[in-house]
Amino acid sequence: MTDPVSDVSTPPTVAPAPEMATGNAAVEIRDVSKWFGEVTALDNVSFEIGRGEFFSLLGPSGCGKTTLLRMIGGFETPSEGQILIDGVDTAGAPPYARSTNMIFQHLALFPHMSVHDNVAFGLKMKRIEDNIVEQKVHQALELVRLEGYGGRKIDQLSGGQKQRVAMARALINDPSVLLLDEPLGALDLQLRLQMQDELRRLHKSLGNTFIFVTHDQGEAMAMSDRIAVMDQGHILQIGTPEDIYEAPRTRFVADFVGHTNVFDGRVSQIDDNGECLVVCGGLTFRCIAPTGLAVEQPVSIAVRFEDVTLDGTLGSADGTGCSATVTEKMYLGGMFRFETRTAEGVALTSDVTNSDAARLVAEGDTVNLAWRPTNVSVLLE
Amino acid sequence: MTAVTPDRVPAIASRRKTMKDGGVKPIGKPVWLLSPGVLWLLIFGLAPLAFMLMMSFWTSTIFGTKPDFSLDNYARVLVTELYRDQLFKTLRIAFMTTAMTVVISYPVAYLLSRLQGMQKALFVLMMFLPFWTSYVIRAFVWLPILGRNGAINNALQALGITDAPIDWLLFNEGAVFLGLVYVYTLFMTLPIYLSLEKIDPALVEAATDLGARPAAVFRRVILPLSWPGVLSGCIMVFLLSISAFVTPQLLGGPSGIMYGNVIASQFLANNNWAFGSALSITLVGIVLLLLLISSRWIGVQHVFTGGRNS
Repeated sequence: MTDPVSDVSTPPTVAPAPEMATGNAAVEIRDVSKWFGEVTALDNVSFEIGRGEFFSLLGPSGCGKTTLLRMIGGFETPSEGQILIDGVDTAGAPPYARSTNMIFQHLALFPHMSVHDNVAFGLKMKRIEDNIVEQKVHQALELVRLEGYGGRKIDQLSGGQKQRVAMARALINDPSVLLLDEPLGALDLQLRLQMQDELRRLHKSLGNTFIFVTHDQGEAMAMSDRIAVMDQGHILQIGTPEDIYEAPRTRFVADFVGHTNVFDGRVSQIDDNGECLVVCGGLTFRCIAPTGLAVEQPVSIAVRFEDVTLDGTLGSADGTGCSATVTEKMYLGGMFRFETRTAEGVALTSDVTNSDAARLVAEGDTVNLAWRPTNVSVLLE
Repeated sequence: MTAVTPDRVPAIASRRKTMKDGGVKPIGKPVWLLSPGVLWLLIFGLAPLAFMLMMSFWTSTIFGTKPDFSLDNYARVLVTELYRDQLFKTLRIAFMTTAMTVVISYPVAYLLSRLQGMQKALFVLMMFLPFWTSYVIRAFVWLPILGRNGAINNALQALGITDAPIDWLLFNEGAVFLGLVYVYTLFMTLPIYLSLEKIDPALVEAATDLGARPAAVFRRVILPLSWPGVLSGCIMVFLLSISAFVTPQLLGGPSGIMYGNVIASQFLANNNWAFGSALSITLVGIVLLLLLISSRWIGVQHVFTGGRNS
């Protein structure tokens, strides 16, 4: 854990907007730590979020992601370190003096105000002229597709409509950074997917920086330009959804993001072509060797369920396959999940697209599993 | 859900059938379950009021109260200057008491809602402790404080600020006002505290996030959301102080008596039950009228519906 955020300098992969050519970040986190009494919520975290980026903080509950978000919003103060927004140190600035706006986990809409008054609140606080407020509220409600709902009371709205009001209320202020604290958590799956689309659409059309906190890796994958995976107050990896998914750097990231077979083993051989063999519980995996790997070094390896295939024509001798017995077969709609046990006693799971061949495999059958070396990640931590 | 008839034409019929077949007994609308409460209200609430209303049209003489119909009592209530003045004075004291308890209670309730854990428990206990003693004692305790040989006069004299005891501390309207405020403050603090406690802290954060400074957060979010608590406290304290009897009796002296004392004297001393009833009904009528007026104006209905929905 000496250098968990080694790729902080990775530029955001969003299509660069003209104004971000100078490379100045919307948010800069510098050596930030936070302690609540004896408990460490964040441990010396540093990274940058680019202007116009959709950035997700992903991790299990208690990993420090909400604390970090609340510090950016000004609701908590860092115990150590600096947070810069648009290049300006935010130390001591209360939330009302920041160019951030937050969409709260339970939305926190004002129950005693109409939809219109909720949305207008931020502008009223800035003492904007009434006719401009009216115009902007109208636009904001139009933006979230709630035209004509201005007069409604909050408790007359459905869950999805409340979400939209919360978005309008925050976005009407045109914040330089929009903070989203798991706002979709309370919605059912259908509505959640709809709201994800909605957020993507708003982000694309508005171009503000979005920082999204979630524990749902699917949600983070679907929406983000970049993701920071967090655990126990540390940032384990920052990268595009592809990076994180295809090349997890630690065992935790591999486990947390997607469905993955993870094994502990040790390196048995390093070839000249950059590949290596890792033996895990008697089973050998051929993988791409990361730089600095040594023979006999203990490592973990990760293979995603969908990267283990059933059409095993390749032998087990070169570490790209093995034969195994199907212990459980699950129907998942578009695909089947086979839980298998190899001759060496290793449990391997394979996701296979629904096909005639896959349908014919039954529990108890012996199958040939196969994987590509490029799909096996070597995890050093 | 055991017996699902294939041809369930009207939904209600099939449901009834299911209930008959299954173990669930149809109980219809069990209105009769309300009967204890309704009976209680009828016997101890409405019946005495109805009886009093009836009696207020009767006439009392030294020989007893005669059940005939006359408006003389009401004429006397409205025309006699003494009773009119008493009524206005009582209304004034009740209004002032209500206003004063709001001023005292809101900050206390606000502080209380901010406290956490042990501190909060301790403060709540401190607030309630005096109210575990009898109402009469709490009013009575002002006599040895404000009296000629009371704590205040003794202290003033001991400190050399005054030479002789001050008389105007007790047995006047001011003493009654003080006593009422003291005795009824809890009835204001409690509902305000409860309504403040109900406010989601995230709403305060949301307002701050949207650019509201502390004063604006208070005015735009905290105050409106605790308003139902303030109103229910006001109604309670106003009703209690407009019908106050013990406090003015103990602390008021001749100039500090209130409408409640006037009514009581008709029943207890003058034995004029009919006139006493007319005075009471007048008070009830005025209270109802005030509630009605204020409900148009400040949304008192929220107090009785317990929140935001109208």
